[in-house]
Amino acid sequence: MALIQLENITKEYTSEETATSVLHGISFSIEEGEFVSIMGPSGSGKSTLLHILGLLDRQTTGSYLFAGQDTLILSDLERARIRNASIGFVFQAFHLLKRTTVLENVMLPLYYSQVPKKEYEQKAKIALEHVGLMHRLSHMPSQLSGGERQRVAIARALVNDPKIIFADEPTGNLDSKTGRSVMRTIEKLHQQGKTIIVITHETTAAEYANRIITIADGLIGSDREVVSTHSHYAK
Amino acid sequence: MNINATIKTSIRALKANWGRSLLTILGIVIGVMAIVLVIALGQGAQKLILNQVQSIGANTIILRPGRQPTQPTDAAETLLSDSLKQRDVDALLKPVNVPDLQTADPAVLVPGVISYQNSVYRATVLGWTPNALGEVFNVYPDQGSFFSQDDVKTYAKVIVIGSKVKQELFGDSDALGQFVTVHGQKLQVVGILPSKGQVTAFNVDDIGLLPYSTAQKTLLGIDYFHEIFLRAKPDADVDQVAADITATLRETHNISDPSKDDFFVVTQKTIVATVSTVTQVLTIFLVAIASISLMVGGIGIMNIMLVSVTERTQEIGLRKAVGATNENILLQFMIEALILTFAGGVLGTSIAITISALVSTIAQTYFALDWPFTLPLGAIALGVGVSTAIGLIFGLYPARKAAAKDPIEALRFE
Repeated sequence: MALIQLENITKEYTSEETATSVLHGISFSIEEGEFVSIMGPSGSGKSTLLHILGLLDRQTTGSYLFAGQDTLILSDLERARIRNASIGFVFQAFHLLKRTTVLENVMLPLYYSQVPKKEYEQKAKIALEHVGLMHRLSHMPSQLSGGERQRVAIARALVNDPKIIFADEPTGNLDSKTGRSVMRTIEKLHQQGKTIIVITHETTAAEYANRIITIADGLIGSDREVVSTHSHYAK
Repeated sequence: MNINATIKTSIRALKANWGRSLLTILGIVIGVMAIVLVIALGQGAQKLILNQVQSIGANTIILRPGRQPTQPTDAAETLLSDSLKQRDVDALLKPVNVPDLQTADPAVLVPGVISYQNSVYRATVLGWTPNALGEVFNVYPDQGSFFSQDDVKTYAKVIVIGSKVKQELFGDSDALGQFVTVHGQKLQVVGILPSKGQVTAFNVDDIGLLPYSTAQKTLLGIDYFHEIFLRAKPDADVDQVAADITATLRETHNISDPSKDDFFVVTQKTIVATVSTVTQVLTIFLVAIASISLMVGGIGIMNIMLVSVTERTQEIGLRKAVGATNENILLQFMIEALILTFAGGVLGTSIAITISALVSTIAQTYFALDWPFTLPLGAIALGVGVSTAIGLIFGLYPARKAAAKDPIEALRFE
């Protein structure tokens, strides 16, 4: 069973009688363990697609099965639970909480989870170890470099051991060298078995993936398997 | 979502903007402070007045001419009324009329000043019976003595003065046996009272006492009294004595319609009831006014919370993205509002208690008033409770707005 199964997804935004159609019928499946890049120019609808995939938004028509579950019938509460337990997000702007330590930022998803409180710190430390930031536990985000901030965000996405991680332009706010380092961190997670979906318009970032889907004007342009060219682990 | 983490998060958010948090709760602080202070000071003042009232003794009954004052003109009528005369005193002292009456001491107020040589002092000059002050207020001269019953009968021109009067007129020189002038009449000083300060309605230090007969006939040329102090026998039913007094006076004054009474009876009980009613009504009135400032404070909190929700749109979006439910967000902002208002309540209450303690200390130290400091537990509970309720009411709307935020919109917000 595919982890993600999209069937003819459309999305329309209506405001004051004008309807803006963003997605015109997107269909694809993603298996567990895949590393997929979704590429497209700005305005192509790739962010909207990510929001639907990440259960932050609902499609207008079409069906979306997440782990076999029809997402259209899920309540807000059920969506919040799935986002918490099965999905990790990494954003372009990092979205770390100010005046909150690295450790506590990473612990944030656990506050809303069923995880016992005494395991919070241990889980957060394991996640931070994955991204190589154990030496920054009690730093504030403002004391970190851009790359470090994004790695904290990745640790936060990881902390609840999700099935899938969505990264929305994870290197968009970083210079190319730091961006590569962040992509390598994400790639490492894939090697450890996580399903990864990266949204990007940068070819260099997209090429870490095993599969690249391009979107243009709300439709799939191409969908192809690739050999990860940047990977240290490339076969 | 565990509540401890939420509280911690809320406190952090409030501390991050501590200056603003403080300003936000200022309205609540002032409102709660006003309420608690009004109640605390009201209770203190009421106790002070009641203590003074009680010091005249439960057995004391005061008979005044005119009507029970219910409006300002009644008080004037009381001052001008000439309805209480010697025949009333005589009738009251007959055991057949008022069996449980022990004493009846008529009083005559002499307006004006006491002078000695070139010194003039405005004292409270009172024509009274020889032993009224001693019996009612337990004050006796420490130099000389009170005038006697004979002095009353013979219209003797004698006076007993308070310590302040003596000091003002005579300084350190001897006053006993000297003659002072009141209302054009020379009166010989026969007694000087020790310094006692305020006793009930009287400042004993400021008093001049002479035989009521002298005050009435020789000084003022009147045949009525301004007041009659009566004492019931110990263990007597004061209410019954008051009723007997009323019945006797109606008979001597030929009054059949109680609404036409030209006198009224005041007992400790009636004073206590009046004082309590007045202070309670006043307290409720002031608390109602103070409550308005509390409402304004609540609206202030709501305003700032709304700004805070807008400012923290991104944070709300992120929290939702990582799994916070609408209820989690609602709870977080409600807790912030509650912490703010609760802190405001505690702060306001503390300030009010401090001021209240200060007032009673100052009153006791500098004004020799027996103003008790009371810790009004009811007022504290009310202040903290109401401020917390304000937090619940005015925090709800911003918290609901926060909870309703769409995570996508929130994350897009830059």
